[in-house]
Amino acid sequence: MIVLLILMFLLVAATGTGVVLAREPRRQALAIAVNGVALALLFVVLRAPDVAYSEIAVGTALVPLMFLAVLVSLKTDRPKP
Amino acid sequence: MNRRTRLVVAGICALAIAPAVAVVIVHIPAFGHHPLPYGDAINRAAGAERHVTNMVTAVNFDYRAFDTLGEELMLVAAVTGTLVLLRGRRGENVSDRAAQAGDRPVCERSEAVTLACRIFLPLIVTFGLYVILHAGLTPGGGFQGGAIVASGTLLLYLGESYSLWRRLMHSLIFDMLEAAGAIVLVLCGLLPMLSGAAFLENVLPLGQTRALLAGGLILVENAGVAVAVTAGFILLLLEFLEETRATRGGEKP
Repeated sequence: MIVLLILMFLLVAATGTGVVLAREPRRQALAIAVNGVALALLFVVLRAPDVAYSEIAVGTALVPLMFLAVLVSLKTDRPKP
Repeated sequence: MNRRTRLVVAGICALAIAPAVAVVIVHIPAFGHHPLPYGDAINRAAGAERHVTNMVTAVNFDYRAFDTLGEELMLVAAVTGTLVLLRGRRGENVSDRAAQAGDRPVCERSEAVTLACRIFLPLIVTFGLYVILHAGLTPGGGFQGGAIVASGTLLLYLGESYSLWRRLMHSLIFDMLEAAGAIVLVLCGLLPMLSGAAFLENVLPLGQTRALLAGGLILVENAGVAVAVTAGFILLLLEFLEETRATRGGEKP
């Protein structure tokens, strides 16, 4: 159990660092999704499945999707050089 | 301010708050231990008092239902604000038809994607409904299930076409469902007062523990939250995705 917990904490730290290190906005949106999955796994290990559900639905699916939608819309509005 | 000065200022600030941080770290409770009696009290009492097995639902929709009501109205306000901003800019009269992708090339989707989406769409929506219905029994509830159902409908967009998803997700219907969910929650607070009970007091029969229909007023509030969250998320997705589609020829709506 404690080994699993340490692994999960390391996974969350690693994916969180990935979000910070990804400089390209579209990659950042996907990195947030990966971080969301890691967080959800940590919540499951910590026996908080309700929070894990919310994290998966909101942090992994909806938030990155909205970031992507905004990025696409910014691209279409950019005037052609 | 150059880099050197900024580093010095940052260093001084870090030194200044370091003792406070150290004190907090020393006094953190041991991992897995918590000094708060509330959770333990709920775990002891809620099963017998409310006939539900998911204590999180008991807290959200009964013991702390007032907080949920506030969150629900906050969600409705946030969705409304987004809709007013985005739809207001495009114009209300075009919200019943999908925007065009303009001159942007549209990739053909492969048959494998369409097939995968047709298989997973009913599964995901069914799972979302399961999570909503079993709020009182297993982890999950109206909020989580609603978010699953709302994002599951996006598989229509991924597998079939944007215009089909847009046609089925009629914004007027979801406008009304969003408001209806919030109204259900407010009525759950007000109607018990007619019988002389307190605001949001659980006056309905509680039913049998471990049955699907157990928990009394919790069931009604959960349904209201589920409807409001599903409709709210679909509306948000609809307005955000509509933004990604430039109208053809750059015409202003």
